[in-house]
Amino acid sequence: MPALPSFVPYLIHTLFPPWVRRPTEIGAEVMMVAGGAFIVYWLLKYKKLQWLWNEWLTTVDHKKIGIMYLVAAIIMLARGGLDALMLRTNLALPTAHFIGASEYNEVFTTHGTIMVFFMGMPLIFALFNVVVPLQIGSRDVAFPRLNAISFWLFAFAAALFNLSFVVGGSPNAGWTAYPPLTELAFNHTVGENYYFISLLMTGIGTTITGINFLVTILRMRAPGMTLMKMPLFTWATLNTSALILFAFPPFTIALLESLLDRLAATSFFTLSHGGMPMMYVNLFWLFGHPEVYILVLPAFGVFSEVVATFSRKKLFGYPSMVLSMTAIMVLAYGTWVHHFFTMGAGPAVNVFFGLSTMLIAIPTGVKVFNWILTMWGGRVQFTTPMLYFLAMIPTFVIGGATGVMLGAVPADYQFHNSYFVIAHFHEVLIGGTVFGLLAGVYYWWPKMFGYKLNDRQGKWAFWLFAGGFWPTFIPQYWLGLEGMTRRMYTYPLGMGWHTLNVISTIGGFIMGAGFLVLAANVLYSRRHQEKDLTGDAWDGRTLEWSIPSPAPEYNFAVIPTVDERDWWWQEKERRRQGEKPVVVKPEEIRPIAIPKNTPVPILLGAAFFMGAFGLVFSWWDIALAGLVAVFSILIYSWFQYDHYRILSAGEVRESEELLGRLGA
Amino acid sequence: MHGGDDQHETAMEPGFDFISPRFEEPKFPMHQVWGYAASLVLTFAALWMTVNRIMSPSVLLGVVLAMAVAQGALQLGVFMHVRESRGPAWHLLPLGMAFAIGIGLVGMSAWIMLFKSGVS
Ligand code: HEM
Ligand SMILES: [Cu+2]
Repeated sequence: MPALPSFVPYLIHTLFPPWVRRPTEIGAEVMMVAGGAFIVYWLLKYKKLQWLWNEWLTTVDHKKIGIMYLVAAIIMLARGGLDALMLRTNLALPTAHFIGASEYNEVFTTHGTIMVFFMGMPLIFALFNVVVPLQIGSRDVAFPRLNAISFWLFAFAAALFNLSFVVGGSPNAGWTAYPPLTELAFNHTVGENYYFISLLMTGIGTTITGINFLVTILRMRAPGMTLMKMPLFTWATLNTSALILFAFPPFTIALLESLLDRLAATSFFTLSHGGMPMMYVNLFWLFGHPEVYILVLPAFGVFSEVVATFSRKKLFGYPSMVLSMTAIMVLAYGTWVHHFFTMGAGPAVNVFFGLSTMLIAIPTGVKVFNWILTMWGGRVQFTTPMLYFLAMIPTFVIGGATGVMLGAVPADYQFHNSYFVIAHFHEVLIGGTVFGLLAGVYYWWPKMFGYKLNDRQGKWAFWLFAGGFWPTFIPQYWLGLEGMTRRMYTYPLGMGWHTLNVISTIGGFIMGAGFLVLAANVLYSRRHQEKDLTGDAWDGRTLEWSIPSPAPEYNFAVIPTVDERDWWWQEKERRRQGEKPVVVKPEEIRPIAIPKNTPVPILLGAAFFMGAFGLVFSWWDIALAGLVAVFSILIYSWFQYDHYRILSAGEVRESEELLGRLGA
Repeated sequence: MHGGDDQHETAMEPGFDFISPRFEEPKFPMHQVWGYAASLVLTFAALWMTVNRIMSPSVLLGVVLAMAVAQGALQLGVFMHVRESRGPAWHLLPLGMAFAIGIGLVGMSAWIMLFKSGVS
């Protein structure tokens, strides 16, 4: 047998070290290859490649970008959920060693990272993209092409991060990635490189998205829509974007410096060389605390829309809702030290941040009371989004109250790093963020696709998901109080922790079943569509419900003048009283400039991916090639001048005619 | 911007003169040439001073920091045209807020990392 060229064993050794050849990894590999092959086969068989490229991969339409974010987020929810179930299985069977210590480390790291950055964030951006331009009466976001670049940076970063599972090895230092655990001296595999680089990549995209939506909301509202007439989801987007703007830079620096420590032998966080590991912790949470509000404010926005629509009443206390949300945004920047009270910065520091933490509970409480008062005396419809809202109230109240307990400094010295913390943050992250975003997905689904998700199945998924939630996480408070620390892969049976852990794991599998029903719900509803021809599936209140579902590519044939809150509801009210409806008049339709499709964003994402992959393995030539590719694509795009195509007034008129929208 | 849905700005409130419109369109961007040269000088001077350790570390830190701030101001003023705007320069207000938040975060971080600790 002829000898293999010497680089082949090197490649096999580097790309597929023993720790990616365990049964779970091989299983994932088989699934990925089979899934990929099936998709390619399907695309070729039905000649869909051209369609995919033209309609989706090169699109700059915010509505389609939103849908792509949604698809990616649901796939990532499945991955993160599988990780969670592996962790829970291990903890229910402490003597069986279903997965070992090092694999447990990897799995909780990828679970946390994926759930926060590759499931939560894209789900938020999905709703931003789908909803905000329609809610403010705009034809697109301020920078459509940048918007697509944000998406592709995220998508390729997510692919890179997930690749670590089967190529080279997963990161294993937790979603917080503290030094010295991440330093090269203690962590030889490429896993942490994957973590730092993919988060840098998606972080660029996130920052751009924040800027994009700030500008969109501040500059592109329909005439008449002053700030205090904006729907609350738009307010939530504005505040979230303002949080992104300042939260991501310190994170970027922390990631970059950690990466340099690993790749370029610097010692920003290497204690023995005069570095400051605690500075990483400080920078991380300077980002990390605003990040949890980035995750939850959009959910607050969704709930504010959902509760008003399904109570058929205007939102109670609109100005106080806006004020409290903005207060949360500002205060969110001033509480980060509560994640590391035990560092011992001193009593003055800890007391300051303990108080600021407790202060945030006040505006949050205001919001909860306003939502409840909105339902008061309304005709409440118990649709799936409304159920998620109702389930959020008790979970978020308990999660918030335990948060205040964690903010009490001396108590935190006891709670810190225990299962009490795990229970607390899952309660707010799932009870707040995930319930909220799922409510938003059910609520705006008809706007995205033109048909509702089946409500009966939606309720099944809801009861499993929200019902499984309580047995999963409530026992963990007690586990924490009994001394079980987070991130432990096993425990001796004599500790008395076993029963609670078994309950928690059973709950986790019930939630998993909920996810399966949700997926089935999507597939079933797609097959058995009941088209919504009105564009106003829920008898909504805000501008997005005044146009057809799904919205035509130009959104609004004529931009309406919106001089009151809940304009669409008021307009319907006026119609009910026999006034003449405001309709699109053919003679008012003007030609519309639509941003053209472009391959630049996806190519840029691919070029970043190549460079990043090179960096992960310190293959500098590939990294350099990626950099050159990035610049070449940027230069190519500088010389493209006509970014818009014009939709003539005639074409718009025809399309509106077909949609049955033209009035006399 | 596109779509023709720009907001129409109204007349200036008294006390907000500093954001009144002002726009420069010189034939040759002389400002930018100078700004670019100055940026290069500030960058390489900082590098040269650190590599050659021409002062004690703490003094050097202060000097480099000052040069960084100067360069930041230069970038904002020259390349980001921060004072210029066809309409009222509303962006100056959030920019001020940005500085307040930024300085606040840096200041508080310094305070936290001083470890005036009684407990740890
Ligand atoms: C089915 C639902 C879920 C279950 C059963 C679950 C379970 C778990 C478990 C067992 C851990 C590891 C605890 C430890 O050993 O320290 C964990 C950690 C974590 N989870 Fe979840 N989780 C779920 C959903 C979520 C969601 C939706 C998010 C975020 C949006 C999330 C964010 C996190 C984070 C940030 C960590 C910390 C990871 C680390 O320690 O580095 N989880 N989860
Ligand atoms: Cu926090």
